[in-house]
Amino acid sequence: MIHVNGDAMEWKEGLTVREVLVRRNFRFPLLIITVDGELVQPKAYETTTIPDAADVQVVHMMSGG
Amino acid sequence: MRQLRIDLSKCDAGRATCQHECESSCAEKVFKLNDPAMAALHIRELADGSGQAVLCDQCGDCVVVCPTEALSRNKLGVVVIDKKVCVGCYMCMGFCEKEIFERNPQWTEPYKCISCGICVKACPHAALEMVDVPQPPYRIL
Amino acid sequence: MSQFVFDPTKVMDIDFTQRTQYLEGLEAIKAAHKVLKEIAFTPSLPDKGYTNRTLYVNVGTLEVKEKPVTQQMKDVFIGGRGFGLWHLWNAVKPTTRWNDPENEIIISPGPVAGITQYAGTGKSLVVSLSPQTDIPIDSNVGGYFGPLLKFSGFDALEIQGKSDRDLIVFIDGQKGIIRIEEAPEEPVDSHVLAEVLTHMYAENEADRVNISVVCTGAAAEHSLIGMLNFSWWDLRRGCIRLKQAGRGGIGTVFRNKRIRALVCRGPQVKGDLNHVADYETIAKTGVKYHKEIRENDPHQCMMRRNGTAHIVEIMDAYDLLPTHNFQYGSHPDTHKIDSQYWQSRCTQQTVDGCWYGCSMACAKGADGLEVKTGPYKGHTVTVDGPEYENAAGLGSNCGVFDPDYLLELNFYCDTYGICTITYGTLTAFVMECYQRGILNKERTGGLEMNWGNAEADLEMMHQMARGEGFGLIAGQGVKKMKEHFIKHGWGDPQLINDIGMENKGLEYSQYMSKESLAQQGGYALTNKGPQHDEAWLIFMDMVNKQIPTFEDKAEALYYFPLFRTWFGLNGFCKLPWNDVVPSDNAKQPEAHKIPEHVQNYVDIFSATTGIKIDKDELIVQSARVYNFQRIFNIRMGKGLRKDDHAPFRALGPVTTEEYLSRQERYDKQIADEMGLDPTAMSLEEKMAAHRKWRQGRYEQLTDAVYKRRGWTPNGVPTLERLKELGLDVFPEVVDVVKLHL
Repeated sequence: MIHVNGDAMEWKEGLTVREVLVRRNFRFPLLIITVDGELVQPKAYETTTIPDAADVQVVHMMSGG
Repeated sequence: MRQLRIDLSKCDAGRATCQHECESSCAEKVFKLNDPAMAALHIRELADGSGQAVLCDQCGDCVVVCPTEALSRNKLGVVVIDKKVCVGCYMCMGFCEKEIFERNPQWTEPYKCISCGICVKACPHAALEMVDVPQPPYRIL
Repeated sequence: MSQFVFDPTKVMDIDFTQRTQYLEGLEAIKAAHKVLKEIAFTPSLPDKGYTNRTLYVNVGTLEVKEKPVTQQMKDVFIGGRGFGLWHLWNAVKPTTRWNDPENEIIISPGPVAGITQYAGTGKSLVVSLSPQTDIPIDSNVGGYFGPLLKFSGFDALEIQGKSDRDLIVFIDGQKGIIRIEEAPEEPVDSHVLAEVLTHMYAENEADRVNISVVCTGAAAEHSLIGMLNFSWWDLRRGCIRLKQAGRGGIGTVFRNKRIRALVCRGPQVKGDLNHVADYETIAKTGVKYHKEIRENDPHQCMMRRNGTAHIVEIMDAYDLLPTHNFQYGSHPDTHKIDSQYWQSRCTQQTVDGCWYGCSMACAKGADGLEVKTGPYKGHTVTVDGPEYENAAGLGSNCGVFDPDYLLELNFYCDTYGICTITYGTLTAFVMECYQRGILNKERTGGLEMNWGNAEADLEMMHQMARGEGFGLIAGQGVKKMKEHFIKHGWGDPQLINDIGMENKGLEYSQYMSKESLAQQGGYALTNKGPQHDEAWLIFMDMVNKQIPTFEDKAEALYYFPLFRTWFGLNGFCKLPWNDVVPSDNAKQPEAHKIPEHVQNYVDIFSATTGIKIDKDELIVQSARVYNFQRIFNIRMGKGLRKDDHAPFRALGPVTTEEYLSRQERYDKQIADEMGLDPTAMSLEEKMAAHRKWRQGRYEQLTDAVYKRRGWTPNGVPTLERLKELGLDVFPEVVDVVKLHL
């Protein structure tokens, strides 16, 4: 089990940042993502795997007209 | 279109026998500026001993982004600035991937290489040449 | 998953130079003009961003005079919206209403406006007493008018009085002439009028870029929701383009004064007409920003391809796209009006930007639209956008998912001179009332206002323009429609009040706020009414959960409205602040504020005016104007806690359909947040529990926000706060506050 912006999410071996975004339908392009406080660059969303019990923050920048 | 090219194997890049004649001739004769750093082309010596050239290839990206049509191609396909209609927005400078535009504190309008060929004549190593190449297609930027 | 990739081969093959032209009658129209007043003035260019002059024109008495811009005005009010509010304060009494001659329309661009090196620096702020809210409205608009006005010699244009005939006010900043002309035969609608006047007042083809026209259209005369179009000449398209000062009915005030148009002919724009204090800093900051756009926009928001419509599918994905009058946040047909469609429909082979130097260039244009209805049926026109607000308001919120109809609705809103956001929200309300039997065919005079009926929707708009039928009622806006429907006994008053999306008399803009308490405040705890330009906190609050406590939300509702007010004091656009971010932004402290861009603004203000500020002083500058505006509202009889209430549709589910559509979410909140057992409750009990909980939270938020802003529990700025901000130097401001302490 991991937490994404405070919400529980089921964990599996090899879970990537990209998969988390897909599962939560986080489509917004301006994101700041940290896994246990470590910043993940957009280039590494596919390759960064998330350990069990991780705290994932997907901070969406502001938007709106 | 007329395009300035360089053969870096011939270019001395200021290492031994050249005095950056291309840059000084450009700055002095074309833009009447007494400083080779203000030229519309730059030849730099890199740390590994090789040379690097910053040249306009007349790709036309700046023409696309110019809001006032101050930048346009002349009959030879060379991109030139009409200073009378330029509003100094510098969009051309920001959107030029080769960063070939120059600006100096005295003018609000930027300036660029016009493929005039003065640098070609000035180069003691015949490293520069003016070639005629097809115009690249319009890019959406 | 992430964004759509731009595919240049999918862009529709539309000739962007072709459209219907309206110049045939130009000579006759011009010949009918009669000069009522002409005076000479000395044109001047700004010094460090200010010309230090205001132009006052009374269209009733034909008085034209210059007023000095004092040092105190600059110190306290900065410019733009600040100047507008100050002039308006001095012009009106507490009893003044929008259609009294003493009401004014003030247009002021702000000190930074008109620089050409940074994105989004051509904005004007328009201020007037609103026919919808009876308090000051401020509207931020692009186009060339503000900068050209300033380069002609004026930091602000103040218009007062009422004419008995249709007028044009012409400011010629090249020749130094101000002329008031009777204009009896002018076309009425903006896309025609701005074209005709641009050609009429330009001395030759090259001069057209120096002309900007402010005008409205037929529907502004018969409704309270009129807006003002600000034009500029689009060189490549060879036509006029329009940007809108939309909110609050300023176009209605304009026509009530019988003004047909304001025309400014400025000098030819050059790189430093503002005569800034430190040109090098502005030049370097501008080039750095253009590079950031070049490098990052293609993989971030793609503003250059999509404009603000890039968030249509994003809002849908997060259940935030208002659908069927803000009942739901997404719809299966959204893909028909998403950014992938608009980037293929909008012209991409040209530059779009509503002022020079805007590399964000979001003023997209959809060319070659064949109009299907109304007076311009069969014409080929260019439509602005559509921007996100229009796609959502005219589209999903009304169930219209046909992009051509959406464009036509957008076109007619613009040319008829009505606010697209307001029209979208009021039409969504009309449609929901129709669907729920509050309205019917008899009450609408035959209009079948079902969800998605774009033809009936357009007909209602044509009625508004003709001043007839149900269009006249709809054009009064949601607040007055609610009163009308309730008075006639057409439905349950509570339901009507719950679903009518207005606050202070202004319609909501197009975001769902039900699941973001902070945004509920961002909409209703505002000065002018529910417009997202004060604060957009939905992601921070609802998605990121960055501001969990009332105090956190209050802090966000302190900082962001003030930060964003500052754009309107200076002539900036908000979009370049946060619709692209620097590559290393994520590593910065307080990354959500985009610190590098904030520093750009601080640097540009300082470099323009020569007054050194920092990011904290920026907030103080705004706080003076923001609190002044709050007190102005109080002076006009509003601006208290009672005026900051939100309709329940903005706070939570009003109807059983809404509840059931998101039942899992709502049930979970009953268990987790309220500590109740949803399985033991009936639907009615669950909805009642939500109403109580949500309204209670909103009141707690209001308390926290007022406290953070330095206001009493009734929403009145305290004397200490006034002193802190230096507003206590104005005795009449202090007097207003004292009456309410």
